[in-house]
Amino acid sequence: MTQLPYAVDAETPLNAAELNVLRAQYEKEGEMVGVQTKFNYAWGLVKSNVRADQHLGVMLLSEIFRTSPERRRECLYYLALGNYKLGNYAQARKYNDALLENEPANLQAANLRALIDDKVTKEGLMGVAIISGVAVAAGVIGGVLLRNLGRKR
Amino acid sequence: MASDDALPTLKILLIGPSGAGKSALLMRYCDDEFDPDTAAATIGIDFKIKRLAVRGKPYRLTLFDTAGQERFRTLSTSFYRGAHGVILVYDISNRASFMSMERWFDEAKSNTVEDVALYLVGAKLDKASRNREVTQEEGLALAEQHGASFCEASSKTSENVRRPFVEIVNQIVQTPGLLTNATAKRRSGTVVVDSTTNNGYFSLPNCAC
Repeated sequence: MTQLPYAVDAETPLNAAELNVLRAQYEKEGEMVGVQTKFNYAWGLVKSNVRADQHLGVMLLSEIFRTSPERRRECLYYLALGNYKLGNYAQARKYNDALLENEPANLQAANLRALIDDKVTKEGLMGVAIISGVAVAAGVIGGVLLRNLGRKR
Repeated sequence: MASDDALPTLKILLIGPSGAGKSALLMRYCDDEFDPDTAAATIGIDFKIKRLAVRGKPYRLTLFDTAGQERFRTLSTSFYRGAHGVILVYDISNRASFMSMERWFDEAKSNTVEDVALYLVGAKLDKASRNREVTQEEGLALAEQHGASFCEASSKTSENVRRPFVEIVNQIVQTPGLLTNATAKRRSGTVVVDSTTNNGYFSLPNCAC
């Protein structure tokens, strides 16, 4: 089996103190928050293992994507990563493919693509397993019921 | 490869200005590949694992390839946590990249433990005959000034590509306590914001406390 690639930002949450540094700066700048500060905080949030953080991170990244065209490249990557972590694989793929379209040779995006595909395949198999599990169970119960019926007759 | 998890793990960062050739060096070393067309600037951080035996003993290297672009520097500094070694890369055909190295040494030193292993690499050695802008002597002198080892290498021709990795691992395993200490203490205990110069940097005061 070939080893899956690794998206380092998906596996390395900041510690609480580090995330707090980024949050404090973001809150301090208030309404006039600079794009760098906002991006830094969004990045820290997306890396978090807490779903609410990941959600907020994706939201902030979407805003930066809209307001700051020069940041689109990294926004696409981290939007893909954030959605991947949230389990929104269709969204993740959409953003990642947009990045790959502009940079077909980007290895980070290619690696993330492989990770997303792997999850989709696994969850697809899981779905099949659940459905077939249900079918087997139904078959067994059905069989038992039939046999019981048969006995009663 | 479950057995790999039991190997001693060394954490090494690659830093240096954008376009110096950090990702190319790592790709040549880990995958023995070189593609002049994959020059996409690293986004945030990239990562590779490589197994390497030094003096007959195997190690698991975790190699963090940081983005050189200024806007990712804040983020990259969080990856210094627990680093045993830092490889600093400049481009021998680009004077400006060499001139920026002081700043990269500063960043490396202020975010790591006292006896961290430092290694300076002059990349793109294949350009030496036609476009060299930094002499080998200059590179060596800068490295010595900072207590770092030094070599020039070419990811294109593979010349010297293994050398920085082998030598920095050698240096790490010969430094008593570095393997156990790197995770425990950086030169400063906690991250602080230096609100005067930046927005939310993980800057660390320069003290050995």
